[in-house]
Amino acid sequence: MSVMLQQTTAWLEERFDLSGVRHFVAEKGVPIHAQKVWYYLGGITLFLFAVQIFTGILLLLYYRPSAAEAYESVQFIVTKVRFGWLIRNVHSWSANLLIAAAFAHFFSVFLLKSYRKPRELTWASGILLLFLMLGFGFSGYLLPWNELSFFATKVGTGIAGGVPIAGHFLLRLLRGGDDVTGATLSRFYGLHVAVLPAMTTALLALHLLFVQRQGMSVPLETEHRLETGEPLRQMPFFPNYILRDVLAWYVVLAILAALAAFYPWELGTKADPFAPVPPGIRPEWYFLAVFHTLKLLPSHILGIEGERIGIVAFGLVAAFLVFVPFLDRRASRGARSPLFTVAAVLGLVYLITFTIVGHYAK
Amino acid sequence: MRRTAPAFTAIALTLIALRPAGAQPAREPNTCATCHASVPEQRLAAPAALFAGSDVHRDRGFACADCHGGDPTAAEKSRAHDRTGRASTAFIGKPVGQAIIAACARCHSDAELMRTFAPKQRVDQATEYATSVHGSQLARGDTRVATCASCHGAHGIRLVNDAKSPVFAANVAATCARCHADPQHMAGYKLPDGSPLPTQQFADYRQSVHYAALTRVNDLSAPTCNDCHGNHGAAPPGVGSIANVCGTCHAVFAQKFEASVHRQIFDKGCVECHGNHAVMKPSDEMLGAGGRAICATCHTAGSADDKGAQAAERMRARIDGLKTSIEHSDAVVARFRNAGIEVSDDELALHDARTVLTLARTEIHAADPARVDAVIEGGAAIVARVDKNAEGDARELQFRRRGLALSLGAILIVVVALALKVRQIDRDRANR
Repeated sequence: MSVMLQQTTAWLEERFDLSGVRHFVAEKGVPIHAQKVWYYLGGITLFLFAVQIFTGILLLLYYRPSAAEAYESVQFIVTKVRFGWLIRNVHSWSANLLIAAAFAHFFSVFLLKSYRKPRELTWASGILLLFLMLGFGFSGYLLPWNELSFFATKVGTGIAGGVPIAGHFLLRLLRGGDDVTGATLSRFYGLHVAVLPAMTTALLALHLLFVQRQGMSVPLETEHRLETGEPLRQMPFFPNYILRDVLAWYVVLAILAALAAFYPWELGTKADPFAPVPPGIRPEWYFLAVFHTLKLLPSHILGIEGERIGIVAFGLVAAFLVFVPFLDRRASRGARSPLFTVAAVLGLVYLITFTIVGHYAK
Repeated sequence: MRRTAPAFTAIALTLIALRPAGAQPAREPNTCATCHASVPEQRLAAPAALFAGSDVHRDRGFACADCHGGDPTAAEKSRAHDRTGRASTAFIGKPVGQAIIAACARCHSDAELMRTFAPKQRVDQATEYATSVHGSQLARGDTRVATCASCHGAHGIRLVNDAKSPVFAANVAATCARCHADPQHMAGYKLPDGSPLPTQQFADYRQSVHYAALTRVNDLSAPTCNDCHGNHGAAPPGVGSIANVCGTCHAVFAQKFEASVHRQIFDKGCVECHGNHAVMKPSDEMLGAGGRAICATCHTAGSADDKGAQAAERMRARIDGLKTSIEHSDAVVARFRNAGIEVSDDELALHDARTVLTLARTEIHAADPARVDAVIEGGAAIVARVDKNAEGDARELQFRRRGLALSLGAILIVVVALALKVRQIDRDRANR
């Protein structure tokens, strides 16, 4: 095997200059410190995204994006297609684990202040990727065209309609009309399998390029010790770290397989636009905190519609997240920034609390 | 016929005395409303206030004088209430007894006039009323019986489909109960057998499945008093016509009952088993020859001579058998559904089996075990198909579990191998 590898490498070497790649492989290291465990989250998120692409392509072979056939085609996948049930369940579970991993990755990076100079753009691209993942979740939820997803999309796109000035335009753009119909399904399908993947691929390539070019960030404390002359302990990326990464992916794969086999994703009943709204309609768990907050807001605040104020506030929070590295000047100077730590912790507590409360709220 | 003669005379006289109100536009000014609204005596002020509120007649341009007569343009009380004036302005006052029927019938029995307001509405209420127990009692001079105003109100009359109307479906029973649940009011009235007319019908009805459907489920098609007794022609359904009355809604049951041996035996048809006002939700326990079975009222369990008891027991056994096998298959299918296997076809089949069970419960009204058997066979065949599918589901589940176990085993081996490899290369690096 190794002879064959050597021959292949030699064959390639003869045609391309691989010294840069060899140098990268030999030199790339991963810092060793108490917080190094968080490094795995990025890799796990990437792995789950790969699972999504793989299972998504398989689902595309049978899925039909029309109001008349979408539900039946998913039903066909889970009942008649050999291992279709497994692929669909893995796709649904992996989507949820992916968003959970992306959130965990986001909070770990936030709390470790890894966004500080010179990694501002890595952070910004990561935040945009997180938004894209949420977009994947939102658009993919409607595709089975079942009752829950239909009405949840109605509520979700209705919230988009509350955006000041551009709200109505946004609502019509998302729905392809005034109401959720087959036109909405076509749009969401296009978004889910073409627009979002294209944007994600470009942004992900950029994100990974930044990480490779700049290497892994170390916590502030470690950085301070380095400044005192203490050498940075590192392990080679190849093979020491990559093997650990692969090990973590295998563990995630085992969890995914067990979840898909024992907790199938319900298909529900086919969406009926003329049916009354069933009770307990709520979005997927990752939108619950926002949804519940908007629900709790009073109808009017200072004479302005409460929901509109809420939507603007969430928009500002999203913008704030993109620009965190540029706002946290202390972290950029290598100093502690407790204000941002408190903001991240409060954000985490808020998300967990409101997600739980939103789940049990009637 | 002789008894009703005075009633028709009264109607005729009133018709002459009153003008065809609907043909005329509403009169302005209406001094009746102006004066009555300000009189301190409640008896005289209340009608004006009610009429000024929500009233279907006022909304269509009718005024006080259209029923009470009098001159609404007169400023003086005496002229307004002049009983001796021209026929068109002669004051009638408060119509009582037959005069009420006449006052209402003047318009409501006039097809041409009613067409201008409510073309679909019937115009035979007065004729029907004359055939009712209320109407015949009134014709005998009994003024305690219900007339139009007793149920519809006199002032502030609302349309029948107005939820606040006393004759709105959900309010009918309470409206009838105002008299029929009042022992004092009903004192002296007797059943054909001479026994006093009971007053517990409303209390019984409130326990019934019909009342529950009407008031809890808001099913306005559920029967209330008038659906069985009639409204304007209200009378108890004759003994022979009970099955027809129930069959108005329960058509299939009535059809089955028509073919049964009970048809000739039961004096009161459906009521014999289900009761009349307090109709309870039927259950399988009602069938059979023992325990709480209704059949046991006449039939004897275990008797070799009682073919009816044997038939009842056989039908109950078949129904119980299908019910149990559906429940069993339901549990099996639920287990596979929870395990992640798609079972919607089986769920649909079991739904069909439950429909067959309902049909079998309908079939028992023919009191023929052979007919019940034939229906049950169809349900049993469906359940057998579901059970056969369940065997396939069990194999699929086993396959999935084995597959998962193998996959997890393979993953575990790779994880362990990777962990060992990582340890080895870490050690090698440390040694270097």
